Amino acid sequence: MKISFPHFGNYHIVFKTLFEGIGCDVVLSEKTTVKDIEEGAKISPELFCLPLKVNLGNYLHALKRGVDTFFMWENIKGSCRLRYYWMIQEKALHDVGFSNIKVLNFNGRNFFPRIKEIKEKNRTSWCRVIKTFLLSYQKLKLVEFLEERARWLRPREIIRGETEWILIDTLKRLDRLQTGKELSKLKKEIEEKFQKIKIQNNISPFEIGLIGEIYTVVDGAVNFDIEKKLGEMGAEVHREMSLSYFIKQGIFPWREWKIQKKIKPYLRSTVGGHGADAIYEMLNYVKKNFDGVIHLLPFGCMPEVTVRPILEKIHLESGIPFLSLSLDEQVAEAGINTRLEAFVDVAKNHHNRKTT
Amino acid sequence: MEKRLASLTSLSLGFMIIGIPRALIYWKRPYFWETFFESLGCKVILSPPTNKEIVEKGVKVADPETCFSNKVYWGHLLWFEDLEEKVDYIFIPLLKTNQEKLEYCLKFFGIPDLSKILVKTPILTETFDEKKEKFGKTVERLGKNINKSKKEIKKALTLSFLKEKELKKQEEQDFFEKAHSTQPKIVLISHPYNLYDEYVNLRIDDKLKKTGAQIIFIDEVPIKNIKPPELAILETEAQKFHWEFGGEILGKIDEVLKYNISGAIEISSFQCGCDAVLKEFVEKKIKQNRIPFLYLLIDEHTGEAGFQTRLEAFIDTI
Repeated sequence: MKISFPHFGNYHIVFKTLFEGIGCDVVLSEKTTVKDIEEGAKISPELFCLPLKVNLGNYLHALKRGVDTFFMWENIKGSCRLRYYWMIQEKALHDVGFSNIKVLNFNGRNFFPRIKEIKEKNRTSWCRVIKTFLLSYQKLKLVEFLEERARWLRPREIIRGETEWILIDTLKRLDRLQTGKELSKLKKEIEEKFQKIKIQNNISPFEIGLIGEIYTVVDGAVNFDIEKKLGEMGAEVHREMSLSYFIKQGIFPWREWKIQKKIKPYLRSTVGGHGADAIYEMLNYVKKNFDGVIHLLPFGCMPEVTVRPILEKIHLESGIPFLSLSLDEQVAEAGINTRLEAFVDVAKNHHNRKTT
Repeated sequence: MEKRLASLTSLSLGFMIIGIPRALIYWKRPYFWETFFESLGCKVILSPPTNKEIVEKGVKVADPETCFSNKVYWGHLLWFEDLEEKVDYIFIPLLKTNQEKLEYCLKFFGIPDLSKILVKTPILTETFDEKKEKFGKTVERLGKNINKSKKEIKKALTLSFLKEKELKKQEEQDFFEKAHSTQPKIVLISHPYNLYDEYVNLRIDDKLKKTGAQIIFIDEVPIKNIKPPELAILETEAQKFHWEFGGEILGKIDEVLKYNISGAIEISSFQCGCDAVLKEFVEKKIKQNRIPFLYLLIDEHTGEAGFQTRLEAFIDTI
């Protein structure tokens, strides 16, 4: 059984470790390209949201390498379309002739039984499974740490692109390493490397918050590396959406209740997906006196589209610059660049007005 | 004594006027809320059937990416703002889950809160979440908001339920009449807010009737105790639709297929997220039975001529 899964930001490193650890033969597609997205869109239902199309593009790529099973997350709590992804993806693959391909669904309820099933099939020991989980968790932490550091360093670095280079190199090494020992060694090394980057000490870059749908916020290939672009234009980017955020919210329900309480004046009910989180985060950024908020969503995403008028209302009330970018397979990078540049100018002005 | 006082005050104040937009959630339970508020002694104003002006108004204020049905709803809502005789309240329920504990479309969840941004008229709303609370109780709370006693509400509720039942019965009779006719029968599959809104669906039933076909709305098909049919794509692990209409529509299609149908048309509004999922299963089901299938998308730019051509071509295949 050769398995694969769609790309999701830099987290493929984590998933790969996890599934290899329990004895699966993991074959990954290459990083998402524009061509992948195009091909995925060709075989997927027209009105579906972008992530499904990108995933299918990844699948088509992986199929050329002999994969026969895909893993897909199924959202059983929310009311968004992510719940039906695996079914629709399997149907789409069957329709174009890959009739013995399976898309396995993972959800909050069947996650551990599924893992156990796979583990028993591959005759992996419990000891190894636990070690794998620990290592995956450490890798997850490190990936998020790296991304966060990079977001902080990018606007401050003197030699443009130095941070990015270190980040890419480290992620590659992180992908290869197998034990916890190597990982802690890498961690030390990387901290030294980050310290060596020369930064401008006495500047206060303008701050931009990224909110919106988790896939488009996290995956650089889909959002045209928005974090990197903004960073190199001199913005310090912040985002709360990440895989660990998603996992934490799944495990601790009171996080959701807290958010619901905070956003009550604006929205009284959940709208599924990360709609409520977007409002909560935006309110937070307004409170922290940020210089701009960028809202990312796949074109026609149900929860995000529902909350967008509310975000716009917050923007009008508080005066914080706001940009909403809908992404789909027809969006071109040049268009996004122009809009980002214009937005950065607005945010800079906002920042200057604030400081003087 | 108290009763007399209450009636006196209501007389001096005049009737409470309640506006209900005739779109989207209204069609989930047509006539029910009207009867309910009328028997409570309120005056009910419905917005007029959808017309061009209303759609234009709605499209102007709506988020460009919400579904067409939502845009139409905003248009109806704004109609009340421009009204000379102001309504006291606009009634917009927050529909979350229905009796079978299945969810409504998630765009319904945001409607009351988004309406507050759009209009200044106070909004009468209550959360209908039958996972947490019985329907009757929610209605009681709703009545309390407009100062009605429990007794009055109970009476009004029974009246509205009766009226709803009557309509259902009528519908059922109509359906059997249609089902047993010898003309070619065409099923229209869609949500009630697309089926019954004549402007939105470009009078599709009139157009089809002119060609001599018998139209069956999927909404009219009677089925008793529908259990959401399981989507057995993976036979080992079937999963249910969590949307209220998903199971219902698929169940009704199963039922209607018994009556020798000659064609099926699915109408969905542009950017309807639920239909993107549902269409896959509806199409599969109908194509399995070797019945011609036409999928029509409607939005504010849909031209009547293009619609007509496609319908005619479809009729020719039957």
